[in-house]
Amino acid sequence: MATITLSNLSKDYGGGPVLRGIDLEIREGEFVALMGPSGCGKSTLLRLIAGLEEPSGGEIRIDGRRVNEVAPKDRDLAMVFQSYALYPHMTVRENMSFALKQRRLPQAEITRAVEGAAAKLGLTNLLERKPKALSGGQRQRVAMGRAIVRNPKAFLFDEPLSNLDARLREQMRYEIRKLHRELGATSVYVTHDQVEAMTMADRIVALNDGAIQQVGAPQELYDQPANLFVAGFLGSPPMNFVDATLAPDGALVAEGQTLARVSPPAGLAAGTTLTLGLRPERLALTDPTKGSAVRVDVVETTGTGRVVHLALGPQRLKLFTMDPRPLAPGDVVGLVVPPGAPLLFDPVSGARLS
Amino acid sequence: MSRALALRLEPYLYAAPSLLLIAAIMLVPLVTGLSYAFHDLILLDPLSGDFVGLDHFREMLDDDGFWTALRNTVVWTAVSVALQFGFGLILALLLDRPFPGRGLVQALVFLPWAVPGFLSGLTWAWLFNPVIGPLPHWLHGLGLLATPENILSDPHLALWGPIAANVWWGIPFFAITLLAALQSIPKDIYEAAAMDGAGPLLRFRRVTLPLLAPTIAITVMLRTVWVANFAELIVVMTKGGPADATQILSSYIFTLAFQRLDFGYASAVAAVLLVLLLAYAAAVMVLRHAMTERA
Repeated sequence: MATITLSNLSKDYGGGPVLRGIDLEIREGEFVALMGPSGCGKSTLLRLIAGLEEPSGGEIRIDGRRVNEVAPKDRDLAMVFQSYALYPHMTVRENMSFALKQRRLPQAEITRAVEGAAAKLGLTNLLERKPKALSGGQRQRVAMGRAIVRNPKAFLFDEPLSNLDARLREQMRYEIRKLHRELGATSVYVTHDQVEAMTMADRIVALNDGAIQQVGAPQELYDQPANLFVAGFLGSPPMNFVDATLAPDGALVAEGQTLARVSPPAGLAAGTTLTLGLRPERLALTDPTKGSAVRVDVVETTGTGRVVHLALGPQRLKLFTMDPRPLAPGDVVGLVVPPGAPLLFDPVSGARLS
Repeated sequence: MSRALALRLEPYLYAAPSLLLIAAIMLVPLVTGLSYAFHDLILLDPLSGDFVGLDHFREMLDDDGFWTALRNTVVWTAVSVALQFGFGLILALLLDRPFPGRGLVQALVFLPWAVPGFLSGLTWAWLFNPVIGPLPHWLHGLGLLATPENILSDPHLALWGPIAANVWWGIPFFAITLLAALQSIPKDIYEAAAMDGAGPLLRFRRVTLPLLAPTIAITVMLRTVWVANFAELIVVMTKGGPADATQILSSYIFTLAFQRLDFGYASAVAAVLLVLLLAYAAAVMVLRHAMTERA
C-alpha cells in the first residue's frame, strides 16, 4: 500500500502537450478513478505512473520516493490492462505465478499465493487452462488474479471492464470494489464510463484536454461540478444546459419564461447571460398554468420512470420523472424547477458561478 | 447407370479433374524419375536402359563420393540454416524497434533475397579470390588464415565459401518472416511482463521466444529442406571441388547426371535424398504436432 504523489506532471509526444500541470495526491488505500472522454490523457497518466511512459516534466513519487527514472519492473505496481494482456502460451497458473517466479519466491509460497487468489476469484477449476480456452469474463479475472497475487504497492486499472458485456461489467464492478475493500490496496482506475467512476471510486479525477478539471468524491462532483465539462460528463441522462438571462430580481429567464429565482451571486450584474445547469431528475411536471409552459417532444420509458424530452422555445430539455400522468408528444405541460436545483455557469469560461 | 451409382460417383467426378492434373504434373515425373533409379541409364550409351534392380543402391554403399556428399550435406545445411536463423533473428529484433529511416533500412536489408543465387555465388567467388577480392586479406589480417589464399581451393576449407554466400543470401528470409511474427505479438504483453518484474532478457526468453516458436519451427523446416537441395552456390563457386571435397548430395546428383551423364545412378542418389528429406520433414511435423498439443 502506498501513497502516489504527482507534482506538475506533464507529457508531450512532440505534437503539443497530452498532459499538463497534473498535481494529484493519491492517498494510501484509496480508490481513485481517472475519468474523462477518450483522448483526455487518462491512460497516458496511468502509464506514466506505471513507468511505461516517461514524463516530459514534473515528478512522480511513490511513498515519497521519486520514481521518474525507475523502471516499471522496480516500481512494484500491478496493472490490469484493457486487453488483459495475458501470456497466451502460459496456463492460468503460470500467468499468475509469473511475477512471483521473477522474485524467486519458494515454490510452496507461490502455489499458496496463486491458489489463494484463484479461490478468491473463482478460478480454481481453470488453473491449468490456457487463456484462449477462457471466456472474456474469465480472462478478466485472471488478469485481476495476476495483479493480486503480487500484493503490490498499488493497483493500476486501464479500462479493465470495457471489453465485457453490460451484465458482466456490473458484476465485476462490484467484485473489484469488494476486493479493494478486502485488500485495502491503493488503486488507480482509468475509465471513460461515468457510471464506473461514480459507483466504484472514493474520489474521481475528472480529466479533459490533458488537464485536471476537478477532484472530489463522486457525489461532490455530481452536486457541485466545477465547470460545464464535469457537469455534463456525469449523470445519465446528462444535465440540461439552458441559456438564460439574470433579471434584476434574481429571476432566471429563458425564452421569455421565468424558470427559477436565485439570490444573485455577488458581482453578477442584471442582464448577464448565464448557462443554467438543470439535472433531469430534479425537474418536475405540473399543470401548464402552474409552471413554465413547455411542449412535450418525445417520451422514453425506462422502466423505473420516463425520460421526457421538452421543448422550451428552440431549446431542448430532458426531464426524468416517475409521475404517472398521461403524456403525449405535442402536449403542453408546466415545468417546475425547485429552488436550489439550478446551477449557474459562465457561458464563456464554463466555470460554475454559484 | 443406376441413379444410386451416379450419386455415389458424383463427388469423385467433381474431384477427378484436379486429381488428374496433380497426377500429371506431380506424380508422373516423380515416378518416372524414381524408375530411372532402378535402370542402367547412361545418356551417351545407346545399349544402356536395362533394369538393374537395386544395383545402384549397392554401388552407393561403396561410393566414397556419395558418403562425402552426405556428410557435407549435413554440415552445409546445419551450419547455413543455423547462421541464417541466428542473424535473421537478430536483424528482425533490431528492425522491430522504431528508428529514423527504418523503412529504407528494411528495404535494403531484404535486398540479398532479390539477388539471383547464381549471381551471388559469382560475387562471393570473386570476394574470396585474393587477386581481386578483399576477404582473404581480411581473414589473414584477423589471423584466421596463415596466408591470404583462396579458401575455395583448399579442400578442408572450401565448403565455408558457399556457406558464407548462402548465409548472406538467406538471412533476409528469416528476417522477413520473424519480423512479421514479432510484429504480431501485442505490445501490451511485453508491458505486462515489465510490470510483472521481467527485464529485457527475461521478456525475450519468456515472452518473445515462446510466441515465435511456431514460426521458428515452420521456417526452419522449410529452409532446411530448401538449403539441403540448394546446389546453385556450390556449382557456381567450387563445382563441387576441389576433388569433390565440397559436393553436397544435390550438387553430386547434378555432377553425376550432367557431367558423367549417368542418369540412372544420379536418380538413385536423388531417391535417397528424397527419402532423407521426407523422413526429416515427417520428424519435424511430429515434433511440431507434439509441441502444439502441449500448447
